[in-house]
Amino acid sequence: MPYHEFECSKCIPERKKHAVIKGPGEDLTSALPLGYLNTIPGTISERGCAYCGAKHVIGTPMKDVIHLSHGPIGCTYDTWQTKRYISDNDNFQIKYTFATDMKEKHVVFGAEKLLKQNMLEAFKAFPHIKRMTIYQTCASALIGDDLNAIAQEVMDELPDVDIFVCNSPGFAGPSQSGGHHKINIAWINQKVGTVEPKAITSDYVINYVGEYNIQGDQEVMSDFFKRMGVQILSTFTGNGSYDDLRAMHRAHLNVLECARSAEYICNELRVRYGIPRLDIDGFGFEPLGNSLRKIALFFGIEERAQAIIDEETARWKPELDWYKVRLTGKKVCLWPGGSKLWHWAHVIHAEMGLDVVSVYTKFGHQGDMEKGISRCEEGALAIDDPNELEGLEAMETLKPDIILTGKRPGEVAKKIRVPYLNAHGYHNGPWKGWEGWVRFARDIYNAIYSPIHELSRLDISKDEIPGDKGFVTQRMLSDANLPEEVRNSATLREYTGKFDCLEALRHKTYPTFERKAAAAVAG
Amino acid sequence: MHCEIKDKERAGIINPIFTCQPCGAQFASIGIKDSIGIVHGGQGCVMFVRLLISQHLKESFELASSSVHEDGAVFGACGRVEQAVDVLLMRYPHVKVVPIISTCLTEVIGDDIEGVVRKLNEGLLPEKYPGREVHLIPIHTPSFVGSMISGYDIAVREFVKYFARKTEPSGKLNVITGWVNPGDVTALKHLLKMMDIDATVLFEIEAFDSPLMPEGNHVSHGDTTIEDLRGTANALGTIALNRYEGGKAAEYLANEFDIPTLIGPTPIGIRNTDTFLKNLKTLTGKPIPEKLVRERGIAIDALTDLTHMFFADKRVAIYGNPDMVIGLAQFCLDLEMKPKLLLFGDDNQGYKTDPRLLELAENVDYDMEIVTNADFWELENRIKEGLELDLILGHSKGRFISIDHNIPMVRVGFPTYDRAGLYRHPIVGYAGAIWLAEQMANTLFADMEHKKVREWSLNVW
Amino acid sequence: MADQMDDLMKSRMAQLEDYIMKNCLWQFHSRSWDRKVQNEGVLTRTMQILCGEPVANETPIDKCHWVDAVVLAEEFHRRCPWLAGMDKAEVKTLMGALREHMDYLTIDGSLNLELTDQHY
Repeated sequence: MPYHEFECSKCIPERKKHAVIKGPGEDLTSALPLGYLNTIPGTISERGCAYCGAKHVIGTPMKDVIHLSHGPIGCTYDTWQTKRYISDNDNFQIKYTFATDMKEKHVVFGAEKLLKQNMLEAFKAFPHIKRMTIYQTCASALIGDDLNAIAQEVMDELPDVDIFVCNSPGFAGPSQSGGHHKINIAWINQKVGTVEPKAITSDYVINYVGEYNIQGDQEVMSDFFKRMGVQILSTFTGNGSYDDLRAMHRAHLNVLECARSAEYICNELRVRYGIPRLDIDGFGFEPLGNSLRKIALFFGIEERAQAIIDEETARWKPELDWYKVRLTGKKVCLWPGGSKLWHWAHVIHAEMGLDVVSVYTKFGHQGDMEKGISRCEEGALAIDDPNELEGLEAMETLKPDIILTGKRPGEVAKKIRVPYLNAHGYHNGPWKGWEGWVRFARDIYNAIYSPIHELSRLDISKDEIPGDKGFVTQRMLSDANLPEEVRNSATLREYTGKFDCLEALRHKTYPTFERKAAAAVAG
Repeated sequence: MHCEIKDKERAGIINPIFTCQPCGAQFASIGIKDSIGIVHGGQGCVMFVRLLISQHLKESFELASSSVHEDGAVFGACGRVEQAVDVLLMRYPHVKVVPIISTCLTEVIGDDIEGVVRKLNEGLLPEKYPGREVHLIPIHTPSFVGSMISGYDIAVREFVKYFARKTEPSGKLNVITGWVNPGDVTALKHLLKMMDIDATVLFEIEAFDSPLMPEGNHVSHGDTTIEDLRGTANALGTIALNRYEGGKAAEYLANEFDIPTLIGPTPIGIRNTDTFLKNLKTLTGKPIPEKLVRERGIAIDALTDLTHMFFADKRVAIYGNPDMVIGLAQFCLDLEMKPKLLLFGDDNQGYKTDPRLLELAENVDYDMEIVTNADFWELENRIKEGLELDLILGHSKGRFISIDHNIPMVRVGFPTYDRAGLYRHPIVGYAGAIWLAEQMANTLFADMEHKKVREWSLNVW
Repeated sequence: MADQMDDLMKSRMAQLEDYIMKNCLWQFHSRSWDRKVQNEGVLTRTMQILCGEPVANETPIDKCHWVDAVVLAEEFHRRCPWLAGMDKAEVKTLMGALREHMDYLTIDGSLNLELTDQHY
């Protein structure tokens, strides 16, 4: 087994099986790190907790819901305004967060009364919001408050409200992933099938699952589905609506994006309702094109997908390729949380020319590493549950040109002169869709060829200070060694989209497609 | 005309102003050199606090977790602390100070941190790390008590209590800053230098604003040393700038070592800075030099340009760390503004008898509200119900109130992640008075132009 | 079956496997019994498409396997021109071996300890 032992972790031998380098001739049966095991205390791991996995990652992107955490204020405060899951209803879920503010007396005497009072207050403060999720925290779990009972009481008193209970305290699992699982299962057990869809408007109905509308990804993808005449019954959960998600059982197909966080509900929907699970990639021209084709094939409307693929490819390929010729051979550490390690590993290589020298996952399982390692080229270092020192050691050894990771680890990279892009919240996304993919390439290009990044490596006390230039542009850096015909190519061009590419989508009108008569009657 | 100090009436929190105690303890602990704290609880309590601090300072700080999972929550998790200490010490050979910071989880299950520390001090440390200086310091910060403010206060006291040792008088002054920014420490040290005072600054966090160097790695950390902390017992006096952040440590030193102590006022604005200098003079006997008269003059000159023309009668809401909020309110009054609403994000019972708040209650000549245990809804709902404001002063978590209600806002306090580099600028001292006033003025000016309200008046002033 | 293959077949199978492992996600469902169904469902249909045989496509689950198979077959054709020169029997042998190998890679030989977890 090609385990990689970090110098800094030699003193904790149990770490050894958490990193591998896939060498020549090796496959998943010989190269796979352990995963999703309890964290070794004191390693300065990057993992979060099961509460945040449930509340912050999956729960909160639901846009028309009061998100109330039952516990002290910290859990609520700390997970508020740290992500970019936007919505088309003026970001209610980003702007408002609710905590029951459990204090010492509640820990001693119980906090159920406090919880109920909170719920009533919250509905009173926001009379137009009729849906609520209550999240358990470490404190409320340990004192044994019965959230379900209180939720039922409030629903009995306020007949027009509906309340979802998510019991996923911070300690419930090795990482945030424990919370993903708990909220998936809780949602299907409690809520799916409790209402019928408001309207079925198409013969082709999907749930779009494991998509969190980071910087508008969901809206970009919805645009394609709408252009195909496919109805998105619900999105789990980005820009998603609570009642739509209660009606998930009526979709024909589950289109699954982030399998790490949401495969559980797809599996259960398949078992309980016979709805098939189709795993897709929304990132990258070819993977996205194939994904749309599969959805279209499923419904027998392949030409509609093909029309989109042709149009978008023609529009954006010259721009993607402009970046590709300038990014080819640049080394990347692809260090996200979970799913992006496999969503991106192969396609940033194939379509942007980048070499992935390392992948890591903070909270992924072995299944994510199977996908990630399969999609990497040989020699990539794969790390499960990385910690601060291992990350530094890997960057010092691999010398990446860029690292795609979280905000705080990005600050670590900065200090050793490695530019970073935010893999969770993105820099200037959305990064899904054809245009989004070009925006991603543009962001990578801007990071790698930043003149400031170049300046950061100059030691004015020792190095020759050039002194011959008043400025440097990214082009001067990126094009220095490009052949003339590439530099001045008549076909390639830089990104030409707008700073905000969502605004137009939100006001777009779509063609109506004729429905099959029989289905329309039956439906 | 009246001013009332009251508790929020609702039970719950809609948009919290503060986070919980462990965050405060973590912020204090990163101020100490060669220190990495272990937060004993779930991983989110560390991961999100590290993120929060990095949002504010655009730097990463080292803090570890004992990573308590389900089994630990059920059967007790003291073993996780033991393992965490060992793993941390093995991999970070420079680490000497390890605060062990509790959370709601480990307080509820009743983990005996003192017991673990005793065990480690008798077993692991002498056996595996003989000769190595290691200090394990239990800090109890259950999240369901107080807030990040009291967490900071408790942690500072615990550090001082642990280290302070009476030996020879040092002739130095203890200056306990409270929860401030690197820019504040720079400004304070400047004033101390001008007064020719040798001081121990707790905490010495100027280096939180650390460089990106052409070689090597430069992890941000504080520079307060074990020696600094030990020496606090030998100081000629203590000044704690803030009553609620560092006040407990100052009181401890006063009670335990009879050190002359002055707590507050927070030197925000001219008047409070004057008092701060007076306090320095009282404790050290050093005169206030001519140079500071001149510096003060520059500040007064700058403020005079702004007050009656632009600041007079401007209605302000202020929220955040309590000492800062009070200092800002006092400064606003000196600038002819009208603080209408002060929000304190926790239920500290001390607020109701805080002489500074009583002074406000007695003297303001317009309607003013002071709400404790407050949340952001106390502000937003009042605006919805007709409270008219010209300016909001507070940290970034309240940003959407400013955005949605079109009220200009100056970011101040912690955290201020939605504006660049604010941690670099002081709000204390004469330099802070200038910075704050000009930030407020320029923010009002930009708002006048954005809304096209009397924007022409800026043509000449 | 793999033992009986010559080197050419082996290298061809490796090409197909490489495409699947780099580009597809259907083989990575989270439990061994699901992977078995997925490998069988998609690869059997891919083989049928490549051989020009009728494909079972009745239930939604069938259909979902079929769409992955259609795209896979197209990609195989696009990337492996040698496929066109093979007769049905050869394609069947190759695809049978591929499926066997995929089962090994993703199920029987897999190091993923979660595959046997009884719950989702």
